[in-house]
Amino acid sequence: MNLDAYRITTEPYYEPLGSEIQTFAAAYAERLPVMLKGPTGCGKTRFVEHMAWRLGKPLITVAAHEDMTAADLVGRYLLEPGGTVWHDGPLTLAVRHGAICYLDEIVEARQDTTVVIHPLTDARRILPLEKHNEIVPAHPDFQLTISYNPGYQSAVKDLKESTKQRFIAIDFGYPPPATEAAIIVRESGTDDQLASILVAIAQRSRNLQGHGLDEGASTRMLIHAGRMIRAGLPLAAAVQSSIVLPITDNPDIRSALNDAIEACLP
Amino acid sequence: MNAKQPAGLHVVASEEESARHRLHLLMRQREALRPAFRATWDDLVRHFDGDALEAWANAVLALVHVNAGPACLIAYWDFSRLAAGDRGIGPLLAAAQTAAEICRSAGAQAATASLKAVPVAGHRFGSGPALARWWRAMETLARQAPESITLVASRMAEIVAPGTVDAFENFVTAGLRATSGNKARRTAFFSLRDELAQRLITRDFGTVTFLEAEVELRAFVTALWGRSPLLRTLPADNNHAPQRRVSIAGPVIRMPETFRGVRDDAARALFRAAAAHAQAHLVLGRYPFPVGKLKPLQIALINLIEDARIEMLAMRQLPGLRRLWRPYHVVTPSGVAAAPTLLARLSRALFDPTYADDNSFVAKGRAMFGAALPRIDDPSISREIGMLLGNDLGQMRVQFNAKTYVVEPIYRDDGLGLWDFGEDAPPSGETVEVPAEAVRIEKAETSDSDNVETDLEAKQESLGSARPAAPDQRGVVIAKYPEWDREHGIERPEWTVVREVPSHLGDPRQIEEALDRAEVLRNRVGRLVRGVKIGRTIRLNRQHEGHDLDIDALLDAGIALRTGEKPDPRVFRSSTAVFRDLSALLLVDISESTRDRLVSGASVLDVERLAVAVLAEAMDRLGDPFSLLAFASDGREDVKMTTIKSFAQVYDRNCMARLAGLKSGLSTRLGTALRHAAHVIGKAQSGRKLVIVLTDGEPSDVDVSDPLDLIEDARRAAVGLHAAGIDAYGIVLGKLGTQAASRIFGRGNTMMVHRVEDLPGRLSELYFRLARR
Repeated sequence: MNLDAYRITTEPYYEPLGSEIQTFAAAYAERLPVMLKGPTGCGKTRFVEHMAWRLGKPLITVAAHEDMTAADLVGRYLLEPGGTVWHDGPLTLAVRHGAICYLDEIVEARQDTTVVIHPLTDARRILPLEKHNEIVPAHPDFQLTISYNPGYQSAVKDLKESTKQRFIAIDFGYPPPATEAAIIVRESGTDDQLASILVAIAQRSRNLQGHGLDEGASTRMLIHAGRMIRAGLPLAAAVQSSIVLPITDNPDIRSALNDAIEACLP
Repeated sequence: MNAKQPAGLHVVASEEESARHRLHLLMRQREALRPAFRATWDDLVRHFDGDALEAWANAVLALVHVNAGPACLIAYWDFSRLAAGDRGIGPLLAAAQTAAEICRSAGAQAATASLKAVPVAGHRFGSGPALARWWRAMETLARQAPESITLVASRMAEIVAPGTVDAFENFVTAGLRATSGNKARRTAFFSLRDELAQRLITRDFGTVTFLEAEVELRAFVTALWGRSPLLRTLPADNNHAPQRRVSIAGPVIRMPETFRGVRDDAARALFRAAAAHAQAHLVLGRYPFPVGKLKPLQIALINLIEDARIEMLAMRQLPGLRRLWRPYHVVTPSGVAAAPTLLARLSRALFDPTYADDNSFVAKGRAMFGAALPRIDDPSISREIGMLLGNDLGQMRVQFNAKTYVVEPIYRDDGLGLWDFGEDAPPSGETVEVPAEAVRIEKAETSDSDNVETDLEAKQESLGSARPAAPDQRGVVIAKYPEWDREHGIERPEWTVVREVPSHLGDPRQIEEALDRAEVLRNRVGRLVRGVKIGRTIRLNRQHEGHDLDIDALLDAGIALRTGEKPDPRVFRSSTAVFRDLSALLLVDISESTRDRLVSGASVLDVERLAVAVLAEAMDRLGDPFSLLAFASDGREDVKMTTIKSFAQVYDRNCMARLAGLKSGLSTRLGTALRHAAHVIGKAQSGRKLVIVLTDGEPSDVDVSDPLDLIEDARRAAVGLHAAGIDAYGIVLGKLGTQAASRIFGRGNTMMVHRVEDLPGRLSELYFRLARR
């Protein structure tokens, strides 16, 4: 099977914050599984795309959700006129044909689902397909990457220790102000000054993390705000619609955030 | 939540007759009370079921026991009939509880008067949490100023006129504080003859108090500076003095209760301006300045320059702050050139580059500040410029009266918090007038709490003497359990004796306050509660009917059809809400080691208390039946159990009082405690039973030399629990006992909390995780 559809042909823009590119490249060289941690919208997914492009490997992305079963990952029998036929799931596809498989927000999936990745993430590097009576040895190019957001995980949603300890971890945070401004300029096409104001605004909301907000404004939110401005919306309205309103429903916090944002505007 | 359960379920076997029965017997003997009681009872029977009536009867008996007297009982019954239709039995029970408290501290007449005042208060505050706070304030008042209760109750309508329970609480605290122990003044205050009292109850439309703005203000300042501010109120001042300014004391920012004459949005904006300025000092400045031999005028000027410097730094980061502060710089370059005006003009000149002022002093100040701009990060420029300008102003012979001087503009702090006045009393009382006052207030506050403590102790003593003595000094024997003898490999029957010891009553407010302080955690747990309560749905595969086709089942059926087998007709998927059917028992270790102090100054037991309180609140809101037991042991003959809350009890302030009254001491005989927990929870009727043990080390006792014996015994007890279908889970605090615990409960059923401070959060999270399974 050809995985060309999963190949990334143009370079996805990514601004390195530290040594994460080297770390990932080294982990890939050794085919060790990688775990990307960090708050929402800080560039985890973009980083994986960038690395897939850089390493020249196809990338298969699966967004985990609460109802995801093991069959959704590894595959199932489907009916065809001639009888039943086995269809590989996305994970099996990646294992069989050699791709980077990216499981986004893995904690969302049910815990019994996550254990199917265990044999893939240790020295065995195999995927047993119990229903199909088959053991798929991993293609030499295959690598598993997962992401999870420690911010809103609680005891209810946490990775099992036995899962956690299989991964090389890369921690993502919000970029430093100057870098973040540069990212916003690059991604949304606003000017430098506007970008630094947006970063200052984001800083205000991140200050409220744990004091009324679960998480501060993400880089992605700022880029959205920048794009709204590029589309002709005034700054205040863009900030309101792309940052303040999505981030909180609490009137006190919303009003405090609005006042703090006001203090960032020139 | 239990409203629909049959009444018989909750009758405790040890009680020979029910409270309602006893109450009816009692009333049969009281000619005068009987008709009123009969009428009330008939009324209540229409509204409530057996359990609730039983609780109500208990509440009335409690009032009888504190000698409430016929008038008080009738007042309570009237109130009960009035409130019966409203919100269930809860408010009725709470009222009786508080009325009994008031009766204890201030007498039956006071309790009667309070009960009669409830409808008036209820008219303003409804019957929800606001009314509960009203009761709490009344209780405080009864404790600290017993004679005032009747006065306050008789004029309740006027006192609650401002319409918010905040205002009422403020009225009570202000009264207690302002009259600080002076009985005559207190009487004057609470009978509303005092000017301050009058002002507090005058309804002032549009005034925004600090309390109303606090939540928003705190979030605003945190967002600005990334550091949560410590905001407190300054006590109320009187109308004639100039408006008090914000005052910084160490890391604390004291805000005036209101800014007089400023209303609505303007008041909120002023609070924001003031708090943003004060926190900017704390974040960007470096204090305290040594006061040395500076004169008051020099101090005022150095403050002024420092304010300008801090604001300049702040506005470099957050340019929009200029819009926040500008409206208050309103002074104009005209009028008499007296010191206060000149200082205000200089403030404006340094703040507002477009402001024109040709006064030579202002111009000089402006020039010097401008020249120092390149090194604005250096706090010493304030002192340099301030001293020079102070000399100038001195030579100009302008009058400066430190006593009447107030900082302008209004949003700036009084500046005194930036100074270190040293050990000695300052040379003139003038310069430190306000700090002296602040100190006095702080002292008054501490003495307040001292009073409360001694009052409480005194009350506990009197309560103690009224209680019947326990049959055995060591408590009532409630059970005997076997223990495992590791050496001989046999189980010794009836080896340990469990005694129920009466609980000490602490002050429930300690728990309430601790909960308030742990607001962030409480919110998080609250979110978990909401998430569970909304009714988590689970997916059901292979159903006979449903809203969706189950692909896997369909495929199996298709395969079956083709292979000529009989297909399974269950090919649908449906979802259903999870039915909660869980009871939990929390076993708290209160042995000697929980007395250890942590870095924060709190003891391990304090943290345990908070953790239990947070979890209990959550379990109560979830409606899961739960029980709280504390244990400690002193040899096999004396394993002490304290019931904080039994399954049958409602979780109320009495439970909190018992929780607050726990004391550390003795040892940990875990196996016996586990067996007893199994016995207690075994009677609960729910599908899933959960015992969570909170301990801070491995089991030990005075009569056992090898701790391994007790570990092995506890392990067997845990295995026994498992066999009885009870999930036992161990939470170990600190680093000791880690191995023992995983041996007892199994590794998967043990949670280590290395940092004791993390316990409250971890405990609740664990509960939710376990309860989900």
